[in-house]
Amino acid sequence: MKPTLASRLVAATGIAALAFLVLPLLIVVPMSFSSARSLSFPPPGFSLRWYVGFFGDERWMEALWTSLALAFISSIFAVVLGGLAAYGLRRGTFRGRDVQEGNFMAPLIVPTIIAAVAMYLGFAKANLLGTFAGLVLAHTVLSVPLVMMVLGVAIRSFDVRIEQVGWSLGGSWFYTARTVLLPNIAPSLFAAWIFAFIGSFDEVIVTSFIAGTYETIPKKMFNELILEVNPTITAVATLLMAFTILALGLSAWMLHRAGKLRETML
Amino acid sequence: MTDIRLEAISKHYGAFKAADNVDLAVAQGEFVTILGPSGSGKTTLLSLIAGLNQPTTGRILIGGRDVTGSPPQQRNVGLVFQSYALFPHMSVFDNVAFPLRVRKTPPDALRAKVMAALELVQLQGLANRRPAQLSGGQQQRVALARAFVFEPDILLLDEPLGALDRKLREELQVELKQLQRRIGVTTILVTHDQEEALSLSDRVMVLDRGQVQQIAAPQEAYLRPANKFVADFLGIANFVQLPGGREGVIRPERIRLAASGGLAAKVVEAVYLGQTIRYHLDAGGTGFVAAAPFVGQPHAIGDSVSLTWDEADVWPVA
Ligand SMILES: Nc1ncnc2c1ncn2[C@@H]1O[C@H](COP(=O)(O)OP(=O)(O)O)[C@@H](O)[C@H]1O
Ligand SMILES: [Mg+2]
Repeated sequence: MKPTLASRLVAATGIAALAFLVLPLLIVVPMSFSSARSLSFPPPGFSLRWYVGFFGDERWMEALWTSLALAFISSIFAVVLGGLAAYGLRRGTFRGRDVQEGNFMAPLIVPTIIAAVAMYLGFAKANLLGTFAGLVLAHTVLSVPLVMMVLGVAIRSFDVRIEQVGWSLGGSWFYTARTVLLPNIAPSLFAAWIFAFIGSFDEVIVTSFIAGTYETIPKKMFNELILEVNPTITAVATLLMAFTILALGLSAWMLHRAGKLRETML
Repeated sequence: MTDIRLEAISKHYGAFKAADNVDLAVAQGEFVTILGPSGSGKTTLLSLIAGLNQPTTGRILIGGRDVTGSPPQQRNVGLVFQSYALFPHMSVFDNVAFPLRVRKTPPDALRAKVMAALELVQLQGLANRRPAQLSGGQQQRVALARAFVFEPDILLLDEPLGALDRKLREELQVELKQLQRRIGVTTILVTHDQEEALSLSDRVMVLDRGQVQQIAAPQEAYLRPANKFVADFLGIANFVQLPGGREGVIRPERIRLAASGGLAAKVVEAVYLGQTIRYHLDAGGTGFVAAAPFVGQPHAIGDSVSLTWDEADVWPVA
């Protein structure tokens, strides 16, 4: 089909809007390699001083470890719990299934600030404010819907009769899940884990409310920006972007190989 | 090897009855076919016997043991679906070995049993292939081998040949029958194909809308159907009026085409089926189908003929 004028206009508008959104991100990258003392564009010269500064700063490193540990632990919890929930919702035929599904997906739909306030109030009652356990719990709850979306598609497209045969041949539910279901949805499982990991690593709103004295990378970036405009931020932002793009690219590739990319994204 | 009893089995989905008060006794080593149109509840019954689903009411006994409510793992059933349901990531060998690994069979015995099973279904050379690298018929053989390798008490087959083309289906029917006879396992096969049911089974159970219509030997159900539904579903049925306002059924091959002395009719259509010819006839507005051996000079379309039959061959159905 020949592109019409209208479809060209739509495409041009789309590209312009995307550029408008992406350009500020791309400006950050050259600025992070700047030799200047303060934020300035264009950068007067090339240097790695802000990267050296970042990796040499104990407080940034502490925030990095907190973020990594938090993302690692909460993403594993989210994959296990979200995977079980997705399985139950996809395979089960119980009453109130839609309500349950809505309940699990809520953190994705409710504005994050509302979730943050709710968790702040709830965690205060449970003495979880400012604790690592509280952070893990909050990040797990926030990541579960992402995991459920990815694994829900994978489980639905895996023929239940294959599992049923496994059971009738004598395999317990766990044995069949481990030896039959999991190997077949492994790419989606890995993609779900990456989504959960990045979701946690990027999270700032809920974290700011409940973290107390714990610093994570995004929370510290936020706080730094309020205090002073330090170019170290641009180095952190560039690292974060590179990491996110690589990880999402990897998971998209895994989903693509499993033939589930379109279904998961739509 | 065991017998199966269904006692007043019903399965309701809301107000809908997918299985309605079904009674069935399958003897040890017997081959029974559940036959019915699509949606009549065949798969529902099979999944109840396999334990994949629980009946709303009624009891299921396997080998005299009440298994109602017990999970599929405890029923020792070999199950084959139309879609084969092979484990896609495992080799043929590992697929067949699955039930043996679950049962902690020692490696030597496991290997011997898997290879023996593959030999029975003539797949010994393909043990290392993946299911995706096999044809439909080969995949179905793997599914069969996997279903009987662990010597299950019963074999349940849900339209196992439905996805195959006609020639392959007929070949596999013969193989299946021989295999079943050799290992002597109690077998229930589900199909909507009446020819398959008639050629394979010791007895057929005809099902319609969740209700049993008849349980009988194939010839019995064919020649003496319990009602019009069975008569119609099993092959071609001619309905004739009997004295007293009753209706009777007579099969095409019991109707003779004579020159005179019977019911006058015209040949509307002649269908050549190899050994036989099937005539579609019009007897004063009533349609008849007759089948005659393909010998001598066949009748042509438009010929006037006379239909005769023995009263003993008419079976009252209503
Ligand atoms: N889980 C279910 N919920 C509601 N209706 C069902 C369910 N499973 C099967 N049915 C209905 O029960 C009837 C019988 O289904 P099935 O046993 O699969 O028929 P068959 O195998 O003879 O084609 C169908 O009308 C089907 O729609
Ligand atoms: Mg069916």
